[in-house]
Amino acid sequence: MTGGVRDKDRDAARDDTLRRFLLPIGAVIGLAIVVFGTAFLYDKNGAENLLAGIYQLLGNNAGATALRNGGGDQFVAKLVLAAMALLVGVGGVWLLYTGVSAVVGLLSLRKQQRIIPWVFVLPAITLLGIYLVYPTIATIYQSFTHGNNGAALANPLANYATLGTQDFPHVILNNVIWLVVATSGSVGLGLLIAGLVDRVKREALAKTFIFLPLAISLVGASVIWQFVYAYRPPGAPQYGLFNAIYTAAGGQPLDWVHTQPINTYLLIVIMVWLQTGFSMVILSAAIKGVSTEVVEAARLDGANERQLFFRVIVPMIKGSIITVATTVAIAVLKIFDIVYVMTGGRSGTDVIANRMYDEVFQFNQPGIGAALAVILLIAVLPVMYINLRNLRHQGVGA
Amino acid sequence: MQKHRWLALAASFGLVFAACGGTTTSPTPVPTPVVTPAPATGTPVPTPVVTPAPATGTPAPTATTAPTGTPAPTATAALTPAVPKVPTGYTELDKALGSDKPYAGKTVDIQTQWIGGEGANFTASLADFEAATGIVVNIEGVGSSHETVLRTRIEGGAPPDLAMLAQPSAVVAYGKENKLVDVATFMDPTKLTAEHQATIGNLTDGTHIWGVPYKVDVKSVVWYPIKSFAAAGYAVPKTWDDLMALSDQIVAAGGHPWCIGMGAGTATGWQATDWLEEIMLKTAPISDYNNWITHKLLFDSPQVTLAMNDAAKIFFTPGYVAGGPTSIIATPQTDPMDPMFPTDGTDNWTATTPGCWMQKQATWYGPDFFPDVKAGGAGTVSKYILGQDIGLFYFPTIDPAEGTPVEGSGDTLLVPAPPDGSAVRPEVEAVAEFLATPEGTERWIQAGSAISANSTTPTDWYAGAYKLQVAADIVAKATSFGFDASDLMPAAVGAGTEWSELTDWINGGGTNPDTKTVLDAIDASWPATP
Repeated sequence: MTGGVRDKDRDAARDDTLRRFLLPIGAVIGLAIVVFGTAFLYDKNGAENLLAGIYQLLGNNAGATALRNGGGDQFVAKLVLAAMALLVGVGGVWLLYTGVSAVVGLLSLRKQQRIIPWVFVLPAITLLGIYLVYPTIATIYQSFTHGNNGAALANPLANYATLGTQDFPHVILNNVIWLVVATSGSVGLGLLIAGLVDRVKREALAKTFIFLPLAISLVGASVIWQFVYAYRPPGAPQYGLFNAIYTAAGGQPLDWVHTQPINTYLLIVIMVWLQTGFSMVILSAAIKGVSTEVVEAARLDGANERQLFFRVIVPMIKGSIITVATTVAIAVLKIFDIVYVMTGGRSGTDVIANRMYDEVFQFNQPGIGAALAVILLIAVLPVMYINLRNLRHQGVGA
Repeated sequence: MQKHRWLALAASFGLVFAACGGTTTSPTPVPTPVVTPAPATGTPVPTPVVTPAPATGTPAPTATTAPTGTPAPTATAALTPAVPKVPTGYTELDKALGSDKPYAGKTVDIQTQWIGGEGANFTASLADFEAATGIVVNIEGVGSSHETVLRTRIEGGAPPDLAMLAQPSAVVAYGKENKLVDVATFMDPTKLTAEHQATIGNLTDGTHIWGVPYKVDVKSVVWYPIKSFAAAGYAVPKTWDDLMALSDQIVAAGGHPWCIGMGAGTATGWQATDWLEEIMLKTAPISDYNNWITHKLLFDSPQVTLAMNDAAKIFFTPGYVAGGPTSIIATPQTDPMDPMFPTDGTDNWTATTPGCWMQKQATWYGPDFFPDVKAGGAGTVSKYILGQDIGLFYFPTIDPAEGTPVEGSGDTLLVPAPPDGSAVRPEVEAVAEFLATPEGTERWIQAGSAISANSTTPTDWYAGAYKLQVAADIVAKATSFGFDASDLMPAAVGAGTEWSELTDWINGGGTNPDTKTVLDAIDASWPATP
């Protein structure tokens, strides 16, 4: 028995030695892999050169030369690149974490407790800082300058002043129309459908059909709707659904997406078509969560179906409705794809995100683009706040 | 200055010799079959691949209808590698072409907007150079998002080694931001300027040259069905009045004279700017045209208004445009000419009457957009022959006082500054220098589709290609040359409000919004000078 204890002590001591020496080495190796691996991935011809080296070792000089000249087994080189990316991305990070936690393990317990959370949170905070906080601050700064070079403006607010001129007010107004119509449209329809299908026999099937468009990307949906709104000259066969119906009813074919002001609403229809499914699924689940006792009690009290729905169920799922509405609202405020694909912002359909892209990438006025981005950020912030607060409330309530 | 431009361009076809008399153009590469036979290395037979343009079906073998004959380019010319003879006048190019091939195996990236047929032509243009130098040129043809991708790469600090751009204003803007290398730092500016007089002025700010003009297009042309014109007894119009009379005649006969389609996705409206520029050139003095580019002449001016009114006559006169004014924006730019071709899909032009008769479009247009090629997919050769079935005429004179001006546009090679502040690599300089020579476009010219921006390009290279002959003829008779104004204006206007406002104007039938509202809106968007 005593021998056993001693063995354990010895094992523990050996473990300790392991931890003390091997794991820090592991951490260093992990760090090295990440650093060298990143350098390798950054080198445009890294994979080709590595593979060429291997080929040369195997005596395949022709293959190696071909690879170095940008030919040869490019596909294999791509596989090598993919393998390296996996190794660096997953393996390196894993090693790094294990190593660092081992190093921290050498410290006293109290210090460990203070440091450990930071060790695990720091990478996430760093990434957030680099990819979210820094660009936000840079954009805000840019919005007071001329743009790329950060050249100063005589009037730092000139970019914002520009947003009051030309068609910018109309662009911002369009975003408001989108926000109101698209959000209320998809949440309202979603709620209505969720309520209607709640006790339908083939509920799952019905919901699937409504939900299906959500699987389509915004660009894909826009292309589909381009066909719905397609225009062909009078006399030619109208393959667009709208014009087929419209001309059959005796009208002259219309170029729907370029006809103001209806075109903005026609674009909003696409968004509603996509987002109704999302609203419906969440709200349907919420309706199912309303306890049957409450429903039965309301019935016993003499509530009819409409009263039951609007006076009992809707108030009870208010939290879910707010969550859905704010989530959809954020997506709608940022709308870009549909406008870009359908009209490119022509014919009075431009929205903030599309114009921001145009100003930065097409018009070489990044300062104005940045100002638009800031406006969009300010518009999204309160919606995000409501969304997050509501989520927290629900979390507490649960 | 302007006078010089067109003269130099004209000289590029060798049709006006007197023009460049003053400038001593350095050793003209007249293709004498002198040696330097694809140096030393004995590389596998230098590109027998690129035979002169059967692909586009352009070089009408029987050039009966072609105005300027000289058919059949000599087969021997096609077999000579399309690389300039040493000494070329450029340092790195001479080194690269040396027998020791110092840059063999080096890679140079170039990003272009050319894909499909144009992409293949550009690739062919570089093939002989790559074989002769061993430099691997990695061409990234991006297509319609080219400008955006390029901006992202340049601003993001990972630019390609070289790039092409169609808007000189964008090139100069990059230059002012110090994102480009002044090409005069490694290429002889005197030689460069002398050989590209027509276009290089757009790329300089007085002290720097921010790019090398590569190829040019003539925009003042109208495409029409030759045999249908003959069958109906229509003559090619020589004046604006002729053009209007012909249009009325076609309407009276129950047809539609104009094929117009401007749908181009996010670029919708650019064709409307071409119309406006064309008419501006022909109704206002060239000095007004140039003041318009710099906004010294406002959009809301009598001159521009007059041009808008003339364009309105074509766009909005009932019956003029096939499909009516609504179709102008709704029809994709690749398709407006479809109704012009025989409806039964044959080349029997007399059996049917064209659904529309005339399309104003630049010389880059061609068989790639004919219905049989679009239906047949890549590699299809059109059965419609340029010069026999489909022809081009000069968009006619409007105000005789303004003579016969020509509108053109062009592509520019730019050299992004390496992001780490290092010097441009010599092999990159060699490729840039090669693209500045006539040989840099030789294969594309042989394909019947390009006009070199270099005025020392031998005239006989254009022989046999109907489209290029017509373009050369138009340029030769031009009394002034105007570069595409919207490509020279700030992008916020020339690729922004001018596109969107003119789109609205056309969609509203010229009255909703009305002309003055549209012109005022464009003026209001002119960016304040930084």
